[in-house]
Amino acid sequence: MHSLKLPAWLIVLVGAVYVFLHAPLLVLVLFSFNDSKFSVSWEGFTLRWYERLLERDDILEGLQASLVVGVTSTVFATVFGTLLALALARYKFKGRLMLEGLLYVPIVTPEIVVGISLLILFVLVGFPLGLPTVIIAHVAFNISFVVVVVLARLQGMDRTLEEAAMILGADELTTFWRVTVPQLWPGIVAGAMLAFTMSFDDYVITSFVSGTGSQTLPVVVYTMVRKNVEPSINAISTLIIVATTILIFIAERVARDKPLTPAKD
Amino acid sequence: MSRSLRQRALDYFHHNPTVRAWSLVAPGGLWLLVFFLVPVFMMFTYSFMPRGMYGGVESGFTLEHYLRFFDSLYLTILMRTTVDATVCTVACLLLGYPVAYAITRAGRFKGLLLFLVILPFWTSFLVRTFAMIFLLRDTGLINTALQSIGLIDEPIVMLYTPFAVMLGLVYGYLPFMILPIYASLEKLDLSLLEAAEVLGARPAARFFRVTLPLSLPGVVAGALLVFIPSLGSFLTSDLLGGAKEILIGNLVQNQFTAARNWPFGSAASFVLMALVLVSVLIYLRVRERSGDAAGAP
Amino acid sequence: MSHKTTRDQLFADFMSGRKDRRSFIRDAITLGASVTALGAFLEACGGGPEPAAAPPPTDAPPAPAPDPDDLGPIGTELNIYNWSDYIAEDTVALFEKETGIKVRYDTYESNEEMMAKLQVGAGGYDMVVPTGYIVTVLGAQGLLAPLKKKYLTNWGNVAPLFLDPAFDPGNEYAVPWQWGTTGIAYRSDKVNPPPDSWGIFLDPKWRRRMTQMDDVRDVIGSWLRYRGHSLNATDPALLDAAKADAIASKALLKAYISAPVKGQLVAGDVLVAQLWNGDTAQAAVEEPSIKYVVPKEGGSIWTDSLVIPKTAPNKRAAHEFMNFILRPDIAAGISNFTGYGTPNAAAMDKLESPVPYPDEEERKRLEYQKDLGAATDAWDQLWTDIKSA
Repeated sequence: MHSLKLPAWLIVLVGAVYVFLHAPLLVLVLFSFNDSKFSVSWEGFTLRWYERLLERDDILEGLQASLVVGVTSTVFATVFGTLLALALARYKFKGRLMLEGLLYVPIVTPEIVVGISLLILFVLVGFPLGLPTVIIAHVAFNISFVVVVVLARLQGMDRTLEEAAMILGADELTTFWRVTVPQLWPGIVAGAMLAFTMSFDDYVITSFVSGTGSQTLPVVVYTMVRKNVEPSINAISTLIIVATTILIFIAERVARDKPLTPAKD
Repeated sequence: MSRSLRQRALDYFHHNPTVRAWSLVAPGGLWLLVFFLVPVFMMFTYSFMPRGMYGGVESGFTLEHYLRFFDSLYLTILMRTTVDATVCTVACLLLGYPVAYAITRAGRFKGLLLFLVILPFWTSFLVRTFAMIFLLRDTGLINTALQSIGLIDEPIVMLYTPFAVMLGLVYGYLPFMILPIYASLEKLDLSLLEAAEVLGARPAARFFRVTLPLSLPGVVAGALLVFIPSLGSFLTSDLLGGAKEILIGNLVQNQFTAARNWPFGSAASFVLMALVLVSVLIYLRVRERSGDAAGAP
Repeated sequence: MSHKTTRDQLFADFMSGRKDRRSFIRDAITLGASVTALGAFLEACGGGPEPAAAPPPTDAPPAPAPDPDDLGPIGTELNIYNWSDYIAEDTVALFEKETGIKVRYDTYESNEEMMAKLQVGAGGYDMVVPTGYIVTVLGAQGLLAPLKKKYLTNWGNVAPLFLDPAFDPGNEYAVPWQWGTTGIAYRSDKVNPPPDSWGIFLDPKWRRRMTQMDDVRDVIGSWLRYRGHSLNATDPALLDAAKADAIASKALLKAYISAPVKGQLVAGDVLVAQLWNGDTAQAAVEEPSIKYVVPKEGGSIWTDSLVIPKTAPNKRAAHEFMNFILRPDIAAGISNFTGYGTPNAAAMDKLESPVPYPDEEERKRLEYQKDLGAATDAWDQLWTDIKSA
């Protein structure tokens, strides 16, 4: 891309961080093939934990619920969060600082407080617990994270392109879609990734607001470990890792000609 | 017809910046109001009510839960939590900034590297933590490997130490640091760096005089996203620290579960939230004053 | 009663717009918005998912049943909320096949999670599985429906040990599900002589090779028993002595950890652990030198029970399920899967590796945990003190 090269020590450090992030995954993948229920030492190769997945409807249903909740709540939270960030970065209005301050409240509120208070709210208004309540809760706690990430990119973003577009006669909506959004895109993607990750990994809040038939994968996993982490959990984790990696590689291939950021044409 | 309607709507918005701003705020703002602030406010009122014997609250008004919190026992816990969260934030910054920086320079591997930062978090927290326990314990992979190559005789005790807790916290919050820094570095104008290079600035100077200041919003956002949630963490200290210490997050969790003292749990949460909110507001004021107000019109 | 009427009125006013939101919230709060009260709001407005006061679903006759013990027709659906992995894999399928009732089965991880849902009146569950004294807590809040014994024709199979437990006098609400004890698991190949007292956790010889459970009731309970007291004591002097012991032993402990310690016992990181008998048995399958003992000072015995929430939509089917698991073959199947003891005396000879009932002498050393009531706060403070020490 560019001639500014990275020093060797930096590459080593970054490599070490990636090893740190992925070492537990390696263990997990390895022990999904281990023939021992307690994952203590290597007892030989087996596929029985994968076979067992076929019998565990709860894990598969949990995965499905997690995907539905994750995707839906990420879309909502990303749109809402991006709009909020735009308002905060672009306009001076009464109560702006207060609003920005309030956006940090969801990040700092202990999850159990969020979970129990939302449960009480839903019951008070008679909203039956299920997938919709889980999605509502996830959107609520994810908006703030998206705002903070998108705002970081917006701050000090070069506005000359937008102004140029306007001067050249583009109306505001066109400018927004053709200039602002592409410039903002890395921030939006980063925010969305964070939101999806948080949603996909949330246990405490979900456990309080889920009802019959809306238990996500983390809830299933947590209820299983009261006794022991059965290696079939390792197996489903391995499958998730493999599946997402394949998806990303395909996306990379497709996007090779077209860069990931929308073209500025 | 639709064209003119659109035009009229745009004109209206164009002449009313406040309306425009609030229409951007409305969807997310309303959502947060109804599904976050209202329920949390309900919990706030709970923190002033006597505890119910079996969870929940009784009617009445009391300040006892707040008074109870200002006891040296709980203040010490608050202090220790703050120190832990600070150390964790600094460590995440030192590890996360180089990673974010390297990703923006990775050319066509950019997307892949970014994805690899997130990937570990698509497996359950608990599963990851158990994998870590497996690496760290006395007969774990690290100790076994070190012993088999003869580097050590006795296993190094890593699991159930403050070190393990910090390792777990940093692991858990690192992406919160990397993503916003990446998002703000990504917009960095490379021509500025080239200009600095042409003008003879050494690499270190280029970094500290150009790159770092320009990515500061990302650093601040990352620091907030790591510091604030790590104040409330509780599972990491339980699982990797052997539950031998108590942080504010554990205290709150306990009050809502085993201790069945919801109002005290709420009071502890709100003391924590107030502290954070006040410091965030101070930070926002300072930023506003120093004119870094993001070029609002 | 008048409280309830006020609530009804308040909610009706709110719903019909006669009260604005602010005054509604104010009134609601001053009325004492305990969680159960909030649940009652719901009953009042009738819009809740499971209004307890409302008549049972359409399949019940409108006129009051002549027999108060009669629960009407059996219905077609049963919602069970249980701990995960706490039932044999074929139990539900067998039940569905025999009765034609469709079972929806959800799981939870802690008593509190389940309690929170019952307390606010949500969930729509017909049956939940609280541990020991949680039955007392739920019962005291009026959240449980009393058992109708006439539907439990297999009740006679329950072993006498589990009749009339301290946490549920007269078995008003609870059908025993599985039971166990809390004692000491140890590696008999490394720990000699074998431990027979909670005092082992004060022995510096095993420094950093021992664990206790991450639960204040179990830790303080063990030290109370060590000093010869009830593990339900609330006397501050006794609790202070227990706290001193606990702090002394904390320096020697590797960690406070419950069920997940099994892997480390098998691997040999941990040599002595406070643990449940059933989990010890599971670990012993992998490492036969792991043995279990109830210390001479005594330990706790616990029973998880099936109970029916007051708001359950299909209480009749819940009874049917209870009666089903009281059958010897079904009860044996469950215990063979979970590894825990069965309270079903008739099932004992069908077990692969039966957990024997404690004999007279052992029973004297075993004690049920009771709800601590007002002393819960004091115990919690103790726990915070110990962990901050």
